[in-house]
Amino acid sequence: MRFGTKARLAAIATAAVFALSACGSGSSSSSSGGAVNGAGKTLDVLVGVNTAYPEQQKQWMSDTAAKFKQQTGATLKFETFTSANEELTRIQTSVVSGQGPDVYALGTTFTPTAYSTGAFKVLTDSDWNKIGGKDRFNQAALGISGPDSSHLIGVPFASRPFVMAYNKTMLKAAGIDKPATTWDGLVDQAKKMTDPAKGQYGMAIAYKDNFDPWKYIWGMSVQAGNPLVDGKTAKLDDPTVKTAYSTYFGWLTKDKVVNPASVGWSNSQALADFASGKDAYFLMTSSGSIPTLDKSPIKDQWDYALMPTVAPGQTSDKAGSNQAASILSGDNLVVASYSKNQDLALAYINLVTSKDEQLNYQKIFGDLPANADALASLDSAPHMAALTQAAKESKATPFTGAWSDIQLDLLNVVVQSIPDLSSGNVSDSALNSRISDAQNKAQQSLNRVK
Amino acid sequence: MTTSNSASGTRHAARAARRASGPAPAVGPTNDPDESPTRSVPAISEGFETPAGKRGRGPSERNRPLWMLIPGGVLMIIVIIVPLLLGIYMSLLDLDQYTLRQWIEAPFIGIANYIEAVTQTNLFHGVWLSVSYSFIATVIAMPIGIAAAVATQNAFKGRAVVRSVFLIPYILPSFVVATVWRTMFQPGGIIDKSFHSLGADPGLFLNGPNTYWTLIFVQIWASWPFIYLLALAGLQAVDHEVHEASALDGALWWTKLRYVIFPYLKGPISLAFIIGMLNHINNFTLPFVLFGIPAPHDVELLPVLTYVTSFQSFRFGLSAAMAVVSLILIAIPLFIYLRVVKLDEAEQGGRK
Repeated sequence: MRFGTKARLAAIATAAVFALSACGSGSSSSSSGGAVNGAGKTLDVLVGVNTAYPEQQKQWMSDTAAKFKQQTGATLKFETFTSANEELTRIQTSVVSGQGPDVYALGTTFTPTAYSTGAFKVLTDSDWNKIGGKDRFNQAALGISGPDSSHLIGVPFASRPFVMAYNKTMLKAAGIDKPATTWDGLVDQAKKMTDPAKGQYGMAIAYKDNFDPWKYIWGMSVQAGNPLVDGKTAKLDDPTVKTAYSTYFGWLTKDKVVNPASVGWSNSQALADFASGKDAYFLMTSSGSIPTLDKSPIKDQWDYALMPTVAPGQTSDKAGSNQAASILSGDNLVVASYSKNQDLALAYINLVTSKDEQLNYQKIFGDLPANADALASLDSAPHMAALTQAAKESKATPFTGAWSDIQLDLLNVVVQSIPDLSSGNVSDSALNSRISDAQNKAQQSLNRVK
Repeated sequence: MTTSNSASGTRHAARAARRASGPAPAVGPTNDPDESPTRSVPAISEGFETPAGKRGRGPSERNRPLWMLIPGGVLMIIVIIVPLLLGIYMSLLDLDQYTLRQWIEAPFIGIANYIEAVTQTNLFHGVWLSVSYSFIATVIAMPIGIAAAVATQNAFKGRAVVRSVFLIPYILPSFVVATVWRTMFQPGGIIDKSFHSLGADPGLFLNGPNTYWTLIFVQIWASWPFIYLLALAGLQAVDHEVHEASALDGALWWTKLRYVIFPYLKGPISLAFIIGMLNHINNFTLPFVLFGIPAPHDVELLPVLTYVTSFQSFRFGLSAAMAVVSLILIAIPLFIYLRVVKLDEAEQGGRK
């Protein structure tokens, strides 16, 4: 088995590293108070490869290393990973051997999994003080740093909130003055702008994307007051979830406001279709779509808006329900418990989460700052208003190690429904059985949480 | 030559001198006491029983320098045996994201992973899909590959070009093959459009029941050149005299192919069949890139299932158990197959 072999190789590599580390000397360094003096030391940071801006990332790394050297005297070494699996393998070997990167950049949805390994430092109040205090950050972004406010491992570094893009010209032509704020309203608007004869549709939806679908289901459920996970109980069998799926599928089968070809679209294909001017709305996109849209035929006709925050079937925001304009998405920085350079690690985090560095990072890569001041200063920049608002109104997905499973279960309902979707009708019974299947699997995953 | 041990020194010298004397009268047994007399008849070893061979262990067996196998043996232990044992050990642990940190201390749960793998996962479904799809793809690719090999056997103008073109699908990385076909198969893609222009609506290719056949189709496209290569190698081994002889006997092309050429191909083709099968069963990139994760139910193949269990659900113990179970499930027919076709005898080709 190819995978069996891979797993076995990973295991033996782990064992080898373990053996080596046993021989390694425990040269722990005692840190003195005040400014961190890291002369002669090396801080190892693991970050994800930025495939969209590889050259810029290299430049950013060397610039940051130079600044870090100037501040602390220590050398900064970057390592990169290309996928969550690679990162997990890296964490695995490092944790077992007790050596490896000092600081990791983690995706937000991966943070609960990382937390459940117990390999990362829970930040104390004095730790937070060393990186400018919790107030330095966009408070919403702290939502997925730990299970509760006293057990935070992740320091927010970048935000990628989700919004929807709209075609101003099409909305104007249909006499719509501003984008809808309820899901029902959005469908009504979309119907007005749909004209299959001209190949024009109200919404561009990526039904075959490997991530998008569960975000809709999660969002609509949360807006209807169901967080999907309540303690150790999965609540996928709640009627709100079925409403969410029915609404999501209904855009194609019932309302007919999306292109039938979208059952085969990934997010980038939906973006391309919107960018060619064929759709009025493109949902579930982030700041990463700016470069594409600014080079497209509709470059002067688009803008971002918050996605609807009122659950399907409702007309106004339920009192007390969270807005959940977007899932909380972006990157967190975590410090490895085994790191012998804890103070240096905090000094690095302090550097890269400062206002200037965060704005610089936003300028290069487009990710929104997690630094509150930096975020506020972007409000007036083009296309930024909706993004910054979404960043502030993002809500974290449930903080449990089972979430990656649940996410997959939610997505699986859509994957298995696509043939029905394509034929124009997702039957009630089929949907029910798929949802109950997902509920069972989700509950099993939650049962295993330790 | 050492000076401290003069006795052995002189012996070496004597032996060297004997050798240097070339094809001298002493062709028979040497007088050297540490060489057994049976060594003098090494020529008659294959095919004929020697009197010496009847006395228990044969002479060539007794003095085999087995220690020369040590480097290979050590490598085999490190590369195959140790990871295999570790994998089996892992399959007995409750190893997941929560216990990963001290995985050596992860709770030992015996065969619980195996029970779960068999009763609560789609393991058998996955094994069945993997094996059946591999079998169909291999069986269909086989005649295509052989036909291509036979067609390019005789020299003609441009044969080199045709042979190179045939290899293109084999050279392309799986990832590229899958990406290209996914683009063509998607709704509104070129294949979908072609069907519609013919008035047919085959439905989706990348979701639903058609996925199984999509996968088989792409797999055949990507892997027939492999069969072609091995068949070509087999054809090269056919003696020229055989062609002439059958031509003199007035054999028609089909008779010639069936009774003269194919027997030569039996070995290479049996080999191609088994390697092809194993390659297909192991193929992860193709279904992963074509259909994504989570896979549609009809192409929830074994490698995809193991991948999801390991790297999406982080259940390393369960996934190791699934790997072991599937290894056993696939090893049994494989063993029988190897016994039946007797691949090691295939070297004799058409001599039968």
